[in-house]
Amino acid sequence: MEAVENGMSPIPIDALVLTGYGLNCDNETAHALALAGATPHRVHINALIDGDISLPDYQIMVFGGGFSWGDDHGAGVVQAVRLKNRVGHQLLEWVARGNLVMGICNGFQVLVNLGLLPGLDGDYTRRSVALTHNDCGNFRDDWVRLAVSAHTPCVFTRGLEGIELPIRHGEGKFVTDADTLNRLEAQKQVVLRYANADGRPAGGAFPANPNGSLNDIAGICDPTGRVFGLMPHPEAYHHWTNHPEWTRQKEPLRRAGRPLPTAPTPGVRIFANAVAYLRTA
Amino acid sequence: MAHRLEITLKNDLFDPEGEGVRRKAADYFHLALDRVRTIQVLTIDAALSHDQCERIRTEIFTNPVTQVSSFAPLPEPFDWVVWVGLRPGVRDNPGATAAEAIEDGLGIRLPPEAAVYTSKRYCIQAKGLDRAAVDRIAGELLANDIIQQWRIYDRKDWGADTGIGIIIPKVILDHTPTVATVPIGSDGELQAISDARSLALNPNDIPVIRAYFRDPAVREARRAMGLDDPTDVELEYISQARSDHCNHNTFRGRFDYRDLATGETETVNNLFKTCIEAPTLALKNQKDWVVSVLWDNAGAGRLDGDHYYVITGETHNSPSNMEAYGGAITGIVGVYRDPLGTGKGARLVMGAYGYCMGPRDYTGPLRPRLHPRRLLDGVIEGVRDGGNKSGIPTPFGQVLFHPGYLGKCLVFVTALGVMPARVAGTPAEEKTTSPGDLVIMCGGRVGKDGIHGVTASSEVFSEHTPAGHVQIGDPYTQKKMHDFLLEARDAGLIRFVTDNGGGGLSSSVGESARYSNGALIDLEKVPLKYAGLDQWEIWVSESQERMTVAVAPEDLEAFMALSRRHAVESTVIGSYTDTGKLHIRYEGKTCAYVDLSLLESGFPQWAFEARWQPPEHRGLCEPVLGEPTDYNGLVLEMLAQPNTCAKNWIARQYDHEVQGTSVIKPLIGAGRDVPPDAAVIRPVLTGPRGLVFTQALIPQYSAIDAYHMTGCTIDEAVRRIIATGGNPDHIGGVDNFCWPNIQYDPEKNPDGRFKAAQLVRACKALRESCLAYGIPLLSGKDSMYVDGHLPGRFGERHKVSALETLQFSAVSVIDDITRCVTMDLKAPGDIIYVLGLTRAELGASAYYELFGEIGCRVPEAHPETFLPLYRALARAIAEEIVASAHGVYRGGLGVHLSLAAIGGRLGLTVDLDQVPTARPLRPDRLLFSESAGRLIVSVDPAQRQGFEKLFTGLPMAAVGTVTAEPVMEIRNGDQPLVRLALERLVDAWKRPFGNLI
Repeated sequence: MEAVENGMSPIPIDALVLTGYGLNCDNETAHALALAGATPHRVHINALIDGDISLPDYQIMVFGGGFSWGDDHGAGVVQAVRLKNRVGHQLLEWVARGNLVMGICNGFQVLVNLGLLPGLDGDYTRRSVALTHNDCGNFRDDWVRLAVSAHTPCVFTRGLEGIELPIRHGEGKFVTDADTLNRLEAQKQVVLRYANADGRPAGGAFPANPNGSLNDIAGICDPTGRVFGLMPHPEAYHHWTNHPEWTRQKEPLRRAGRPLPTAPTPGVRIFANAVAYLRTA
Repeated sequence: MAHRLEITLKNDLFDPEGEGVRRKAADYFHLALDRVRTIQVLTIDAALSHDQCERIRTEIFTNPVTQVSSFAPLPEPFDWVVWVGLRPGVRDNPGATAAEAIEDGLGIRLPPEAAVYTSKRYCIQAKGLDRAAVDRIAGELLANDIIQQWRIYDRKDWGADTGIGIIIPKVILDHTPTVATVPIGSDGELQAISDARSLALNPNDIPVIRAYFRDPAVREARRAMGLDDPTDVELEYISQARSDHCNHNTFRGRFDYRDLATGETETVNNLFKTCIEAPTLALKNQKDWVVSVLWDNAGAGRLDGDHYYVITGETHNSPSNMEAYGGAITGIVGVYRDPLGTGKGARLVMGAYGYCMGPRDYTGPLRPRLHPRRLLDGVIEGVRDGGNKSGIPTPFGQVLFHPGYLGKCLVFVTALGVMPARVAGTPAEEKTTSPGDLVIMCGGRVGKDGIHGVTASSEVFSEHTPAGHVQIGDPYTQKKMHDFLLEARDAGLIRFVTDNGGGGLSSSVGESARYSNGALIDLEKVPLKYAGLDQWEIWVSESQERMTVAVAPEDLEAFMALSRRHAVESTVIGSYTDTGKLHIRYEGKTCAYVDLSLLESGFPQWAFEARWQPPEHRGLCEPVLGEPTDYNGLVLEMLAQPNTCAKNWIARQYDHEVQGTSVIKPLIGAGRDVPPDAAVIRPVLTGPRGLVFTQALIPQYSAIDAYHMTGCTIDEAVRRIIATGGNPDHIGGVDNFCWPNIQYDPEKNPDGRFKAAQLVRACKALRESCLAYGIPLLSGKDSMYVDGHLPGRFGERHKVSALETLQFSAVSVIDDITRCVTMDLKAPGDIIYVLGLTRAELGASAYYELFGEIGCRVPEAHPETFLPLYRALARAIAEEIVASAHGVYRGGLGVHLSLAAIGGRLGLTVDLDQVPTARPLRPDRLLFSESAGRLIVSVDPAQRQGFEKLFTGLPMAAVGTVTAEPVMEIRNGDQPLVRLALERLVDAWKRPFGNLI
């Protein structure tokens, strides 16, 4: 992936991956970012808060998966409070300067609790959507099919259509009021929807829609498309052997004497889109 | 001034938790509830202003999109209210994070006496529900009186303004810590004090202990320290160190074994040494991948040139049996500290579970403390939260139902970690303490948790008595500590690390001090959860989430800075010395001064009588069963048995993909719903290698002979590894024995001698199998008292003993993960082979069990004849000419051909007449025999020659083909036996637990 075209080194893209306080997907998120051509840096939340690192040194910030503060008072809530109180302004300024933010699972929950999503009317502090307890009443690990919206401003999903990714959460049900929902739909801020095998939205039906999300919403972006939050885990599909049916996919390839897959997985392509956007921006 | 905040979902939002209660009340008790809503309650015991209260309410604890909240009782409609809160001293994880959040949100520090307590209020709407029914819901569904308290209100009782009132479950001990001196005038006197104080000293140890403390030289040295007779701190230390849990006295015991049929007698001296240590050491010399065994918290093997993996397995049976959720979460979080405390510390990479339970639908006359259904629910949830919140994938697990586990359930938890081969220029697997190193306790604080285990359960509860003997693991605190310690390790700051589990500091400091040969501890420095603990309690408390670390004085500053960065509490509590003494002080005054060498001196070995009666002498024989005529119905019924059918609702609750390492998942195949033979992870994402992990558990065979139970269990684990692509020359084992009491007592344990013989036989089989397959035992544990005394219909108590149980875990390495093979059939037209001989071995089989029979001819493992077959299969897999491979386990070919078909969502046609046998067998026996050493393999016809050539001279045969038509067809020569549509197989297999999510 680290393409060196025309003998030129690509512009380094530094990505900050938050760690600490019960976050737990930092290693594989850093790995996926590296596969996508970025230079990942795992940074403890306190290193950011204490000013040991400086946000302007990074172009991508990933709020990753995990159970920050045990998720005891609403997933992502306590992390959002801590960040808002300590580095809130700094973060807003940094985002406004054209950098990219991604929130995955617990990170998505943090973004909606910070108000960085959905960012309607340019207000990046208001909580207007929520991710609440799955209708099925339980934590669930499963692979889902996702329909990718075609006309979204989201920079992370360019060129992707139907993809599969794992979900692993107990609180992923997207809820909001009717007005906000209409505006998100109208502004094409709904990026990913849970879908059936035929690629069409699941229509709320379990298990294709694993949590009961309104309008099958699995991921949204802000109006600029530079802030993206999603419940599925793209970093957990960084290699083709992560797919639940890879041994079944391999068999026909082997019989036909064809090589094993080497192309970037859909998960890595999401990170690669971010890198490509920054390199061309 | 305390504040009570109530929070609930907005009225138009679905309440999954409330709905879960409604559904379970209907399913479990046939109680029809109309609606259940849950209200979260935070009782904030801190002086906060009105403005501060409002800020935390709106900014932290209430989601404006989904929730409403109030400091007055919320007006949620109800017919009944059930309030459930924790008893004092029970770990309140959300309460602790709420306090952190308040400090963070308000930018204040709460004083030490402030705290937040979480509880729940359930608002039940149901017509005609009486108080007794509500009480049942509270006591049998919502709360467990060991850790929780509850109150029930109807509409009359309820005050709209007061609600539940302010309930603060704060521990107030009001006690001045005191060291007691114990007189040792006679053996009887010490024994009486041991009994009164629940010291659990073994009667045989008492003379040795007394002799030590009466030794004039010892007395003189003690007098110089201001000590005379032993203190309670000292006796507690000795008791912990000598306990069966820490010292494995049973396995190190002497067994007088006699075969009553032949009259042959034998003395087996120390099962651990002869059957575990000796073969493992022998194999370590032959296998260069074995890195570290038999001394540390977990064993280590080589993953690749730069990384080692470590593995260990534990059980947490008794606590789970009392409080399913708390016991299970404490178990899994606890076993995760073992790899973290292995070598200089390993990063956790996976966990696995095994649950043995009474029948989930048990309706018999015995009344276990928790019904198996509730026990299973709680255990599943405990391991779920413990694993998921630790960020460690759980890609493998098994569940087994048998009435023997009504007395006590089994909860197996297994953990694997990975460490770099070298840490800061030194071998990662090595560690030691040196005089001058500081003793540091990291992680949680110390309370009355786990002191003397369950003996405390008989204490009378008062409003502020800590219910600490049942613990609730705290994965959040531990995850922070895990991340911190690994960074400290990589910075070269750790000289020694071990966990605080059973025995607490007594065990972790006691054991680590043996390396430097001494330690000096100042107990008052140990951070406490609440004041008033006696010195001995601080010393032996089993409060969770703690590690003991040795740090050089020059590294202290860097270590503490890193600890603060990770928001982990670390405290210097003393230093290692070379005085030969364990020296403990409290506020400058010595309260223990014991020679470390005491534990190695002259304690008597435990002794057991073991009497073996072969099965045929016990009256076991084959049942007289004619051949069935309805094979279709039979196959469907076999698939629907609780121990065979799908239990996917459990695997789906466990995060099995965190860390991005998932290669072979717990549910695979075209429908992503069939368990594989083994799980595979790629713990180092930049390399091609995978760890292959599996477990086997067939205690049913112990009903006939635990020797063959053990042999078959290990053989099954080996086949699971081989079928997935593991390396036959690299298989590490973990033995977890769970046995009923083996100490003979004419009244209390009349068959103790037989159970002891079963243990001896199992250990012999373990030794033989490990040597035959070349499996060093990287780790292992035993839990020796799996018995329960259950009340029956008339108040009489029945002793219920578990089957003699061995869970065997196996781990292997695959050089290239893309060569892994799964068990699902892959393509129509593929040839189906059966490898290995099918014999008339149906004793204790699932087939006999279906008819309530046991039989006598139990399957036997023959490693020497099986191994060439396994090696041939391993070669075929390495050459990538195998489409699918699957062992034939419990339920035989009938069940496992079905599962291979379900896995591929493809049909098959098989002729049983082609199945290799030693002698001709009746079709039902062919179909359901559980002979070991067999596998089902499917192969692309284009590879037929190459595949068969590898098996020249070995028992194997092509028995059929994979079909596109989704039908399973099995015949015996010309005789049609089974013809079932695939969807009927799927339905039969998935329906029994199909409504559980």
